[in-house]
Amino acid sequence: MRQVMKMAVAATVASLALAACGSSSTGTPAATGGSTGGAASGIKVGMAYDVGGRGDQSFNDAAAAGLDKAAKELGVTSKEASATTGEAESAREERLQQLIDAGYTNIVAVGFAYAKSVGKVAKANPNVKFAIVDDASPDSTGANIENITFAEHEGSFLVGAAAALKSKSGHIGFIGGVEVDLIKKFAAGYMAGAKAVNPAIVIDVKYLTQPPDFSGFGSVDKGKAAAEGMYQAGADVIYQAAGGSGGGVFTAAKAAGKMAIGVDSDQAKTAAADVRDVIITSMLKKVDVGVYDFIKSVKDGAFKAGVKVFDLKSGGVDYSTTGGKVDDIKAKLDGYKADIISGKVVVPSK
Amino acid sequence: MKRLDPRKLALGAAAPLVAILVSLLLTSVILLAAGDPVGAVWAQFFKAPLPRQIIAIVNEATVLYLSAIAVAIGFKMNLFNIGVDGQYRVASFAAAVFAGQHWLPGWLNIIVSLIVAILSGAIWAGIAGFLKVGRGVSEVISTIMLNYIATYLVAYLLKGAAVKVEGSNATSTAIIKEDSRVPGISLDGIIATPNKLYGLIVLAILVGFLYWFVLSKTRFGFDLRATGRSETAAVASGVKVKRMVLLSMVISGGAAGLVGMPLLFGQDYAYGDTVQSGLGFAGIAVALLGRNHPVGIAFAALLWGYLNQLSNGLQIGAGVSDRLVLIIQGIIVLSVVIAYELSRRAGLRLEQNRVAAELAAQRAKQQPKEVAA
Amino acid sequence: MAVELHGITKRFPGVVANKDIELSVRRGTVHAIVGENGAGKSTLMKILYGVQQPDEGTIAVNGQQLTLKSPTDAIKAGIGMVFQHFMLADNLTVRENVVLGAEKLHGIGDAASAEIRRISDAYGLDVEPDDLVADLGVGARQRIEILKVLYRGAKILILDEPTAVLVPQEVTELFNNLRELKAEGLTVMFISHKLDEVLSVADDITVIRRGTTVAEVDPKTVNARQLAELMVGSALPSPQTEESTVTDRPVLTIQGVDLAGGAGRRKVLDGIDLTIHAGEIVGIAGVEGNGQAELVEVIMGMREPTSGQVFLEGTDISDWQVREIREAGVGYIPEDRHRHGLLLESPLWENRILGHQTQAPNVKGQLIDAKSAKADTERIVKDYDVRTPSIHVTAGSLSGGNQQKLIIGREMSHAPKVLVAAHPTRGVDVGAQSSIWDLIKTARRNGLAVLLISADLEELVGLSDTIRVILRGKLSGAFDPDTVTREELGSAMTGAAGAASAAGAGTTRHTDSTSDGGTP
Repeated sequence: MRQVMKMAVAATVASLALAACGSSSTGTPAATGGSTGGAASGIKVGMAYDVGGRGDQSFNDAAAAGLDKAAKELGVTSKEASATTGEAESAREERLQQLIDAGYTNIVAVGFAYAKSVGKVAKANPNVKFAIVDDASPDSTGANIENITFAEHEGSFLVGAAAALKSKSGHIGFIGGVEVDLIKKFAAGYMAGAKAVNPAIVIDVKYLTQPPDFSGFGSVDKGKAAAEGMYQAGADVIYQAAGGSGGGVFTAAKAAGKMAIGVDSDQAKTAAADVRDVIITSMLKKVDVGVYDFIKSVKDGAFKAGVKVFDLKSGGVDYSTTGGKVDDIKAKLDGYKADIISGKVVVPSK
Repeated sequence: MKRLDPRKLALGAAAPLVAILVSLLLTSVILLAAGDPVGAVWAQFFKAPLPRQIIAIVNEATVLYLSAIAVAIGFKMNLFNIGVDGQYRVASFAAAVFAGQHWLPGWLNIIVSLIVAILSGAIWAGIAGFLKVGRGVSEVISTIMLNYIATYLVAYLLKGAAVKVEGSNATSTAIIKEDSRVPGISLDGIIATPNKLYGLIVLAILVGFLYWFVLSKTRFGFDLRATGRSETAAVASGVKVKRMVLLSMVISGGAAGLVGMPLLFGQDYAYGDTVQSGLGFAGIAVALLGRNHPVGIAFAALLWGYLNQLSNGLQIGAGVSDRLVLIIQGIIVLSVVIAYELSRRAGLRLEQNRVAAELAAQRAKQQPKEVAA
Repeated sequence: MAVELHGITKRFPGVVANKDIELSVRRGTVHAIVGENGAGKSTLMKILYGVQQPDEGTIAVNGQQLTLKSPTDAIKAGIGMVFQHFMLADNLTVRENVVLGAEKLHGIGDAASAEIRRISDAYGLDVEPDDLVADLGVGARQRIEILKVLYRGAKILILDEPTAVLVPQEVTELFNNLRELKAEGLTVMFISHKLDEVLSVADDITVIRRGTTVAEVDPKTVNARQLAELMVGSALPSPQTEESTVTDRPVLTIQGVDLAGGAGRRKVLDGIDLTIHAGEIVGIAGVEGNGQAELVEVIMGMREPTSGQVFLEGTDISDWQVREIREAGVGYIPEDRHRHGLLLESPLWENRILGHQTQAPNVKGQLIDAKSAKADTERIVKDYDVRTPSIHVTAGSLSGGNQQKLIIGREMSHAPKVLVAAHPTRGVDVGAQSSIWDLIKTARRNGLAVLLISADLEELVGLSDTIRVILRGKLSGAFDPDTVTREELGSAMTGAAGAASAAGAGTTRHTDSTSDGGTP
């Protein structure tokens, strides 16, 4: 009997582990095939999402929005597949290769985890065009690869300045999903922006999880707990770069009667309706634009390999004004924006 | 009576097969309930894997095998080393940092790095062993806790050890240079793919052989198995159980340390935030499925690798969520645990019956008059 | 008729189950069911108590045919069972123990206490509801168990080997209680293999052999020997001491061994002095739980004595590990062979290695020598008459007697100097019992020093050269098995009759050896 109990414990642990793998990538509907719209152009796009896939209300959804726009306006067909938590490198390669095998010869890989696999599969399939989001490393450099990167630190500088201008307590916060270099880039820009306004400002920085635990991008409860802590400690504006965990930050802001700043998309439009009013602005990272532009360039025969930086200058990052909460400081923010674009202000990226 | 009783063997083989069949059946029910295309899903399932997929499956199985052997060493002792996951991550990190320094040339660097991995895994698991022996802390609790600590410790240390690659958002240790990489094994001529098997598959096979040899052929292995079967009887037979607990935990951790090595030297050449994770937990399932037997685990690891490999095909080919693979794996583990326990009981009963019957037959032969009486 | 069983058959793998049991129990009687160990008595009682269901046959209680699916059904039918092992919580009072699980009957307060007193007075059980169970002796605990059953309304009581844990004086008390129950119209079914007791208390006796009822006898017309032969189906063996082989060469010497109990408790072993010579069997009598198990653990090295020494042929082994002690030549037949002597799910040949993992023929260096171990297992199976179809079957599939013969064969295969045998014939059938006795006598003849611990006084008297009694961790003086009476031993075991039986209690080790030497 003891043996049975122990086996049961082991089985439970094993299945919990599996369930845990599953839960960090929640809410994706089964990948859909072939969305067509407008005039069929004959362009077939294969989308390889990061963990979470379509429906994560964040990074992957931003990419999906670009694809949806391309489907509607350019009439492309598509096939989508998403990553599994902690998967093997070969699984990523296999995903790209299978999309190609199925005839989807324009590949968008969403997320820097695809760097090596894109590099390798691109070499093996020289006639297929690739775009990878968030990576410009030597691993993913190739004659048929476009590297879509964003100057997140520039956009974050602006919302940092907005936070400092809006803060009454002189105390603001940053909540990152997972402590990876990419998110640290958001933090660096944010802090620089805030300090540019008020050199004495107090900034709390917290990351929800550490790699390889990527649940910080999908845990509403963790975001909420961290934000509650910061608001209680005196912060009155929090900028979140935490993917799906951001919803928790907004909930905490609503409960505390404080302010929050959204990320990636214009969250004053996309967040849950009851918390929208706490979002004073959002740092826009226009992944959708990057994806759309890639597809369009392919269709137009204007594909160009290499790094394409989406920065303030090109409009790939920006801050949002939905809700009118930053209208009073818009002039100041636009001033910083002009300085960055002109090179007068150089924003640190780490 | 022969040593290998065919009925017992059949029973042993039937259990996992029945479990897998039951899982397929249950999965079909789930598919039907969800309104997914059952036919398309099974078509993906039973499609012969492509050459490159075979390589991927075997490679996946290689690391799972090492992980499952590490878990099985504990299982044989009735110890539940849930901490293989943390142990292999600590060890992979330590070995990656060491190898990345290139203090030693070529192969020497690889060999010493492997030893670093074994030692780091062993020390990490040894903490749990020490807590159990010295303080009576359940190894289940302590290893789970140590998994968390491993996550944060490695993340913290990785910050310091990370080498920045221009244009990359990934964080990782220094890349190991060409001369200290383990070349892959090409199956060119057998199957048509440029992809290669991990060179360290040899290491996995060696570990599997050692596992079998030490457990079934040595005094130490006998003591270990005896402790697992009956701690009280082992104590009375002179086994120092505390020492065995500590030792087997350390050895399990040492084996766990090797889990990440095929990845480190055969694919990633560094440790960072995009390396494969969760192998320690999958190892528990694979060890259960393979019944702690070195060959059984190999089959189980291949099955697991096969299922993992399906997640892309299911999404792209059948248009269903890759989560289906997790569901099937979960159902298989549960069915298998139940089936094994049932077949174990049935096997014991079968044997008792047969012993009683054979003895009765012997008696009847020897003393025909007693039957008359 | 209170209970009628007809054609009860129950099949189990590997053990004697029940076959065509016929049993009629008259109301208001004590009905004994006798049979040797493993004859199927306990299975039968479990069927009657609803713990197991028969494959065939019918059960009728008070003339009404019933299907008993669980003990709950049995309790409803007025059947109660007192198990051999008590199920009482030490840290609760008698009342709390009695009402536990039966709170609905009379609550948990004064009403319950009153009911307990009423039952206690009615049947002369002498149970006080507010006593703490921890303070009570074995006899009193058994009466609580009986009261628990009566409290739940039982009219038919099943007592499974109730005297196994009692000393003779307590047995007499128990039988007086049973007679009171009977006088009040209750029916008692009494399982035992102790025939003298059965004959003194039972109104009817049913004999079970090999799973089936072979006879119903009237205790007034049979004697113990006839009854025993009915049980066994043949002439009865009994242990017979042979000519003394005791030498004056001490092999195992224990000097002033103390073993501390838990915090605030009395010592588990208290000043143990004992010498066993080559060719001598020293028997230790005592009620279970008086330090026998701990004495064995100290000798075997599983525990280190708090103070005092253990010498093996003059070498102090008190702080040696189990393995060193076994290698030095101490053979061990453990009290509980399933827990301490065997790996039940391992084959016989692996069990042959157990306990001798470092010795030839089992190992060569650090490697297991499976071939030699198997060959040697074949030899043991042959020489010690272990009935098994193969050495590859699991130890768990053998009967108790054959398991024990395998253990003895294993221990004797390494030329031991000392044999520690704890309850060597417990739970084995009569045939195996006499061959185990023979094996122990052979060991003695070969010059071993044997420590025999047993609860079976007949076995102790028949085999030992000297008997010592252990009580609360202390050893009494030596008794000569040829002259000692059961009552003398019983008194020493309870410490009841103080001075008279403890005459030898002050004897030193020196006088021990003289008296041992003088025992022919």
